[in-house]
Amino acid sequence: MSFEMWAEKYRPKTLDDMVNQKEIVERLKSFVKSRNVPHCIFAGPPGTGKTTAALCLARDLYGEPYREHIMELNASDERGIDVVRETVKTFARVRSIGEIPFKIMILDEADNMTSDAQQALRRTMERYTETCRFILCANYSGKIIEPIQSRCAPFRFSFLPREEHDKYLKHISENENVKLLKEGLDAVFEVCGGDLRKAINTLQAAASLNKPIDAKVVYSITGKASPADVQKMLEIAMKGNFMEARKQLREMIQKYGVAGSDIIRQIHTEIFRADIPEQWKIKLANIVGEIDYRLVEGADEEVQLSALLARLVEAANELEKSNKV
Amino acid sequence: MYFAWTVKHKPKSLSEIVGNKEAIQKFVDWVKSWERAVPKKRVAFLYGPPGIGKTVTVEALANDLKMELIEKNASDYRTEDAINRFAGLASQYNSLFGGKKIVLLDELDGLTGTSDKGGVKAITDIAKTAQCPIVLIANNAYDPRFSNLRNYSLLIEFKKPPTGEVMKHLKSICANEGIQADEDALKFIAQRSEGDVRSAVNDLQALSQGKKKLTYEDVSWLGYRDRQDTIFSVLRMIIYGRTCISAKQAVDMADVDIDMLFEWIYENVPEHLTDPHDLAEAMDALSMADVYRGRIRATQDWSLTRYVIDFMTAGVAMARRNTKTHGWIPFKFPARIQMLSRSKAERAMQLNIGYKIKRKCHISAYRASKETLPYLKIIFKNNVSMAAGIAKWLDLDPEMIEYITGNKEKTEAIIKQLS
Repeated sequence: MSFEMWAEKYRPKTLDDMVNQKEIVERLKSFVKSRNVPHCIFAGPPGTGKTTAALCLARDLYGEPYREHIMELNASDERGIDVVRETVKTFARVRSIGEIPFKIMILDEADNMTSDAQQALRRTMERYTETCRFILCANYSGKIIEPIQSRCAPFRFSFLPREEHDKYLKHISENENVKLLKEGLDAVFEVCGGDLRKAINTLQAAASLNKPIDAKVVYSITGKASPADVQKMLEIAMKGNFMEARKQLREMIQKYGVAGSDIIRQIHTEIFRADIPEQWKIKLANIVGEIDYRLVEGADEEVQLSALLARLVEAANELEKSNKV
Repeated sequence: MYFAWTVKHKPKSLSEIVGNKEAIQKFVDWVKSWERAVPKKRVAFLYGPPGIGKTVTVEALANDLKMELIEKNASDYRTEDAINRFAGLASQYNSLFGGKKIVLLDELDGLTGTSDKGGVKAITDIAKTAQCPIVLIANNAYDPRFSNLRNYSLLIEFKKPPTGEVMKHLKSICANEGIQADEDALKFIAQRSEGDVRSAVNDLQALSQGKKKLTYEDVSWLGYRDRQDTIFSVLRMIIYGRTCISAKQAVDMADVDIDMLFEWIYENVPEHLTDPHDLAEAMDALSMADVYRGRIRATQDWSLTRYVIDFMTAGVAMARRNTKTHGWIPFKFPARIQMLSRSKAERAMQLNIGYKIKRKCHISAYRASKETLPYLKIIFKNNVSMAAGIAKWLDLDPEMIEYITGNKEKTEAIIKQLS
């Protein structure tokens, strides 16, 4: 077994190494051949190879010293307008030395950029097209402002199909001398749903136990690795225990630092699956939407979400009363 | 004209500083050692609670030794870039004006979050090569962010001075201002400040405003501010209020600010409003109060505060319709305030590890701290060799390893494999 992060060790190095996203890879290869790259948006769910594709493209284009020609910036860490004004601009405006006249800026998690920053980026992209091409990676292209989208070639990444997923994990486990059972592999796919980074992390954590990886091992790993148990919190609220539900919420936000927007998104999904009268669901969705908006405006996450929890407790109580009648 | 006494009576010379004699001596020796040669530690890191004279010590020393003091606050050096510009200053011992130079970076605690990314690292780089004395000041030198920086620093701890020392300082100010103060009155102020000299001087000034004499009676009412039962009766007036007016009036009685009062109400409402509908209405009112707080933050229009008050007091009082009054329920201190301060350090640690992961794994530090770190925790608990390999690969420091394992023995085993 090797002792680094496998997700990194097994990241493809060149476009030829990339087994999935066939059509995308073919188009990117044609860019390399013509030695020209347009601005691009790589959109798609996490762990599907967006960043990898960008890095492979760069390596194929520039050869090994590719690092000198690219810059990776992560919008989740540096999402403000200052970064675009200073860092991005400084990088973009200086001409690259070498046979390819432009550099590449990889803007990861670009959907986390503020809209001000995106506006500033739009101007930078336009002005320095000669010297710099942008690759924006994002989960949702919808969060990228229209004017940027229209300047970029769109690429839509999708989750890995089952066979590709299995092939990849089998390859790793053979290479690392790990015994991965069929049921273990099934479980990994079930919990990670084609998110390859998550799958490989799960595999490595499971391998650290030094025993054959079966379904039980996988579930125990993923149980521990996802503290954001929104579903459990909602269940507690539906049982009428507001104090306990609020405590869960508090831990999620404070201890594990889960963003309020992520919790909201999950609650929204869960509400429609919950065992409550259909009429209630749309009422609750309205409250969720209102709170979502308030959070964007800068309201307190815990206060707002616990108001929602109180409504759920109320809903559950009404339901119980009507069942008794 | 109003002039803050903390500034007016600030010690000009080291001999006037209250307490911390040992720390000051250690610091003076270090500064003087620069006359002979560049010392092994080029940076002195003064740390300790607020208001006990860390900054004043540096200023007084510069004054005593006739050195040129170049001073920067956290707000001046938000980025690596700004610090690098600053580094130029530190490359020479002689100042432009012929004397010697000393550089002070104050309020290091203020360097937080991602916008200051690189700030601490840049300071560490300066610490390795500085050609003149560099002084750093922070409340907590043991913040994980400073772990690397500490290795290059001479750590000097400043402690709270004893009450007697604080009193002496207050006395000399009174003498200077021509105020006759009772011994008891000054003792009360000094004790109450718990070693924070700056706040003691501020209290003294506030209490003796326009007076020539200061008695124990003049100051003792300060103590009433601290009595807990006021907040309880305020909460009772709000949660069990029958009219909007009476609930709103409770705010005037409260001796905590609006935000803190909000926390008290928010914490205690659920136990006092047991009917689900009442509770939902009350939480709704609180969430509306919070919306107005957000609007105040966004617009800086403080006149909106009245709506915050409406919702958090009258709104909560009117929510109570079905809940029956039952026995005595105690009020509790807002738990999330306590938790917030506890978990702040933890989140800082998570993010620092996130940055280590980011350097290797093409993922944002934020997401790494959320998504990758949990897997590391599992690996580090189960497999020492793999943990050691990853720790080395990610360049984690011992504090980080200990955080990830959450266990001393495991940490030692991993570190042993590393060396």
